[in-house]
Amino acid sequence: MKLIFEKSIPGRDAYSLPTDLFQDIKIEDYLPEKHLDKDKKQLTEVSEVDVIRHFTKLSKFNYGVDDGLYPLGSCTMKYNPRINEKMAAISNFSQAHPFAPIEMVQGSLEIMYELNKLLCEITAMNQYTMAPASGAHGELTGNLIMRQYFIDHGEKRTKMLIPDSAHGTNPASAVMAGFEVIEIKSNENGTVDLNSLKNAMDEQTVGLMLTNPNTVGLYDKGIEDIEKIVHQKGGLLYYDGANLNASLGIIRPGDAGFDVVHLNLHKTFSTPHGGGGPGAGVIGVKDRLIPYLPTPIVDFDSTENKYFLKDIGKKSIGMVRSFWGNFSVLVKTYTWILSLGPEYLYQCSKTSIINANYVLAKLKKYYKPAYDQYCGHECTLTGREYKKYGIKTLQIAKRLMDYGYHPPTIYFPHFEPYAEETIMIEPPESEGKEVLDNFIEVMIKISQEAKDNPDLLKSAPHNTPISQTDDVMAVKRPILTYDDELELKDELNYQGKDIDYY
Amino acid sequence: MRYIPSTKEQQSEMLKDIGVSSFEELLKNIPEKVKLKRKLNIPPVLSEQELEEKIVKIAQKNSNFYQMKPLLGAGAYRHFIPEAQKSLLQREEFWTCYTPYQPELSQGTLQSMFEFQSYISRLTKMDIVIPSIFDGASAAGEAALMSLRLTHKNKIIVSSLIHPHYRETIRTYLAPHDIEIIELPYHDGLVQYDQLEKLLDEDTAAVLVQSPNFFGGIENLTAMAELTHQKKALLIDIIVESMSMGILKSPGDLDVDIIAGSAQSFGMDLNFGGPYNAFLGTKKKYVRQIPGRIAGETKDKEGKRAFVMTFRAREQDIRREKATSNMCTNHNLNVIAADIYLSLMGTEGIYQYSLLNAKKAHYLENQLLKTGKFEKIFNYPYFNEFLIKYNGDIKNINKVLMENNFIPPLTVSSFYPDNDLKQTLLFAVTEIFSRDEMNLITSLFSQ
Repeated sequence: MKLIFEKSIPGRDAYSLPTDLFQDIKIEDYLPEKHLDKDKKQLTEVSEVDVIRHFTKLSKFNYGVDDGLYPLGSCTMKYNPRINEKMAAISNFSQAHPFAPIEMVQGSLEIMYELNKLLCEITAMNQYTMAPASGAHGELTGNLIMRQYFIDHGEKRTKMLIPDSAHGTNPASAVMAGFEVIEIKSNENGTVDLNSLKNAMDEQTVGLMLTNPNTVGLYDKGIEDIEKIVHQKGGLLYYDGANLNASLGIIRPGDAGFDVVHLNLHKTFSTPHGGGGPGAGVIGVKDRLIPYLPTPIVDFDSTENKYFLKDIGKKSIGMVRSFWGNFSVLVKTYTWILSLGPEYLYQCSKTSIINANYVLAKLKKYYKPAYDQYCGHECTLTGREYKKYGIKTLQIAKRLMDYGYHPPTIYFPHFEPYAEETIMIEPPESEGKEVLDNFIEVMIKISQEAKDNPDLLKSAPHNTPISQTDDVMAVKRPILTYDDELELKDELNYQGKDIDYY
Repeated sequence: MRYIPSTKEQQSEMLKDIGVSSFEELLKNIPEKVKLKRKLNIPPVLSEQELEEKIVKIAQKNSNFYQMKPLLGAGAYRHFIPEAQKSLLQREEFWTCYTPYQPELSQGTLQSMFEFQSYISRLTKMDIVIPSIFDGASAAGEAALMSLRLTHKNKIIVSSLIHPHYRETIRTYLAPHDIEIIELPYHDGLVQYDQLEKLLDEDTAAVLVQSPNFFGGIENLTAMAELTHQKKALLIDIIVESMSMGILKSPGDLDVDIIAGSAQSFGMDLNFGGPYNAFLGTKKKYVRQIPGRIAGETKDKEGKRAFVMTFRAREQDIRREKATSNMCTNHNLNVIAADIYLSLMGTEGIYQYSLLNAKKAHYLENQLLKTGKFEKIFNYPYFNEFLIKYNGDIKNINKVLMENNFIPPLTVSSFYPDNDLKQTLLFAVTEIFSRDEMNLITSLFSQ
């Protein structure tokens, strides 16, 4: 589709100015010439109508949860309730300045204080920091907290154990916190190999980062042994909360011995993903780690009867971002928890587990599961069978688009020999049975097409706004701005080849 | 429950198809000992109406911010946001989708990222732009880490006039990496250039400076770049008030190597501190060391223009522990927010708004000085924030300002305990203030 730059027509505008332009003030009298740009920055000149139509059209090239099933494994693409959005947009919240005097923001602080209590109960932790902006940001924060804990205890620990099934953010975050990553192999059951863990865990090791159920969708049977192995050597257990949607009211990471927990509020707690954020990756810790949290946290002063921002003190890892957290995401989370209560929080996890096992049961004949056992809230199938027809999992995913579905997560997790050509399907509680039945039917149909008409898959998708993209060219001949494109205008020659319009 | 479509009957059917007699059978891998054997101890379910009433009641414990105008900036600025932007952002296709891994279903998000990259590139004159890091502070942290990857050196010089939260965040990000961090002192509202010359050496990876700085002052970036480059170090410019880009010279024209900029001023509500968005900008030759996601243009099979996430070989989901950063979820929806905002403002709008910010801030300072209650402490060029000494009772005036629906300016001494900054106030003035309002503020201070 045409870029907004290509719709620019000199003389058009979509802004409005106040009548008083302060003509009596000449900025040149105050700012030296060397600081002022002689030319205006050339952006675009379009009318408000142009903008509305441009972005409305752009939006139609996206696919969201509201458009249909979005079974991305480990992403928990559940329905985002509208009331959440309305509550977060209340102007008393949305217009609150983060440095406003504390007496002006008691409501905002109350939300943060109360949300902390709810999250602590749901996960059996003692205190949350609301600062981290995403899951990975939470991981970095959690790793830094563990690092600081050991420094404070005079211990030099430099290694972090991470299963081969872990999200890529785990090792990347551990490295950002200065740790060396030791990969722990998965066993034939798809879970942590206890012997490997035992051998790797020593007194130079910080601990283990674990997702439970893990990224294959399996609860780790050995969780009690894992806890003992790590804690006996003085290590800490980190819980990656990406898959908490399988656990609400069923198992709490704190009860299983985890010391640090991150929650993706934009996954389990229904706040929208926004095409890649903003979400929030809040971190919960047990009592002994509270002194190392990022500063500040919200506390309540019962003598003054008011909430305040409490400095964590000298042992804190410091700040990991400006201000206090992704506040509007916190309001949405708080709203969602209260709209469900204990009963329906449990129902969310129960339903998502039933959904995933249902899809697994119906599809395992057609797509060999990485592990043939009951799963948590997501199941990991593979496209291995279709290699012999020259079909890659990617092509199965692309073909799904032709049937109006967003594909599941593919090629993750990846570890040999069990998890190859993986198709990780997460059908959250907001998907009803008939939606799953339709999806299952389509998946089976595609498995047949893979045998009968593989070319149909290889050339898929066929009815999306664009077809398969040339990702190699994007790197070989980088065009990262409109000005890059302008330099290559003649060579590119898009004439008549744009995806305008439908 | 309205968010869970499956009925009890359907669930029993599904369990039957799975081949189990009860849901509990699916949980057999969870050891009994760690299972929760009671209900969660949280408040019972509320109807939507009860829920709304409860939360509105909490919101009312905040001030009615809609009616109030902040004289407070310090990293979060209230600018006017056109309704067309707010309305467009409500399109579910923008906010209920995931990170655009599948370009065929994500051209909307990807093209918007590309447009935002193009806008920021033109505003800042940087070759390439990473559209979304969480906020300015974390972007500054990522920029500092990037400079270590590029130079393999171990010393970072940080201006003392960088936003205090940003400085803290930079320290946190650098803490594990055995880096010497040196603070560059300030004088007269700007960094001390002669000190920079003394502090810079061959071990210096980067100099981090904020312009306009925490006190609003416009730094002399060209001179800093020259000094920095003599020692083969990188100059990183942090832009906290991006509205300044409308009239100020672009960092790219001033030989800055990396920028880390908050995009909050481009159409994001204050939201008690977040979520905002930030961008990184740098030179083309550094593209393989950037953190985070970037959109690029390519073609599809039929030769149509298409956008994809590119230079992915740096990212955590592919490179794991060898990635340039752990960035995954970012603040992409706010990229779209800023793309729409900048489209609405356009060439002339951004220039005019930026100019109005600067003019109004200088107008207010002039008026305040006339009251005789203030003392100018710095003689520095500033954009829309200025630091000024007030010879009156701060507690009292803050109360008066709030009664008149103004959020008081920042008392800087909480961040800078130096003696000469006692009694100083940091005013932020954006385009939202009228002449009458500023005259009223002046009269409140004169009483």
